[in-house]
Amino acid sequence: MIQLYDYVLSASCYKVRLMAALVGVKMDLEAVDFHPGRAHKSVEFAQLNPAGTLPVMVDGDMILTESTAMLVYLAKRAGPQWLGPDDAKSAAQVQQWLAFSGRLAASLGMARLHDMLLYKGDIDAWRAQGHAALRELEAALTERRFAGGEWLVGDTPSIADIACFPNAALSQDGGVSLDAYPSVRLWTRRIRALDRFIEMPGIHRLHELSPTPKVA
Amino acid sequence: MTPRWTATGLSQDLPKGVVMAGHWQGHDLAVWRSATGRLQAWNDRCPHRGMRLSHGFVRGETLACIYHGWVYGAEGGCKHIPAHPALTPPATITVTAFACVEQDGVIWVAPADMAGSPPAVSGVQPLRSVSLTCDLAAVLAVEPALLGQDILRGTVQIDGQGHDVCLLVQNNPAGLTLHALCGVRANKVAASHWVENLRRRAEMKVAA
Repeated sequence: MIQLYDYVLSASCYKVRLMAALVGVKMDLEAVDFHPGRAHKSVEFAQLNPAGTLPVMVDGDMILTESTAMLVYLAKRAGPQWLGPDDAKSAAQVQQWLAFSGRLAASLGMARLHDMLLYKGDIDAWRAQGHAALRELEAALTERRFAGGEWLVGDTPSIADIACFPNAALSQDGGVSLDAYPSVRLWTRRIRALDRFIEMPGIHRLHELSPTPKVA
Repeated sequence: MTPRWTATGLSQDLPKGVVMAGHWQGHDLAVWRSATGRLQAWNDRCPHRGMRLSHGFVRGETLACIYHGWVYGAEGGCKHIPAHPALTPPATITVTAFACVEQDGVIWVAPADMAGSPPAVSGVQPLRSVSLTCDLAAVLAVEPALLGQDILRGTVQIDGQGHDVCLLVQNNPAGLTLHALCGVRANKVAASHWVENLRRRAEMKVAA
């Protein structure tokens, strides 16, 4: 079984847990004491991932340390439709968004770590870079909407959407509001309404899709 | 400040069953559309604990607070308190409602007792809403073809051709928002690029 070294509050770890849930792959989750233990920076953990980052995926003799590569692995194995359309342009666009998701992590993700887990750094710069990245995402999704499109690439959700979703949806944790990004907000709603969607702290499914709780 | 109709969003960005944050002259609003399409704008504070109702969720014809699930119905009256299911909430638990009107694909808000209708913006189609970190003076300085104060109109070059654009001005606590509409024959992608470029030029002018 695939093992995932995981931290429940990590946007990158959630990205992989969400993808696995969407394609129906079960994983063994190994909880790592990221905060406050910093176990991902320990000597023992460095044997697994010298970079000291989470998540880490282990399947047999394969070790992956980049979350976007894990999305490709899960999709290719269990849900190839999540790889996006097969033509050259679409394939390149998917890669473009996978790389772009790293910019969301380096800006919105760092702002969130600053506000939630007391990371030190230039919070104003992280938020400004986060807004700059959200403007790009908003422009792209708005143009897709003009053509009737609902997803970043192609007619169905893909690993491109899943890669960009967590840090965009969690932006408020880092003090960056989504108020100015209507197309991003509607897109996060579509992802939260997907079959087999799973939650993490800070990202809930659409309450209105569940029945009103009954009082005993 | 004289009360007046203010554009707080575009209809296309508020489908049925969705709530979003809005603003009217410094007031935070929760603007939402019910399952049957009824549009409402309320003060963005749950009377219970002050949580933003724009973080809540729409179920049927009601808006529920995300914090403790208090449910509000037509005109802002509290309909249900989950922790006290047998209680009929007193009428005093009511969210302040604003006037909210949809016209030309634009969502307009004003105080509840506002008379008259919002200004008409004819001959253009809704494009997109954008936020800027600069003020309106910078926008007018980089695009002299735009004239007006609350509603900027003019003919600008999009894809090498003259097209009408209309920018509805909304001043928010966090900065300036422009709700952009463009001529019905303009290519929307090209018009969107024009808006992005206008924002870039205006913000760079301030930074310079």
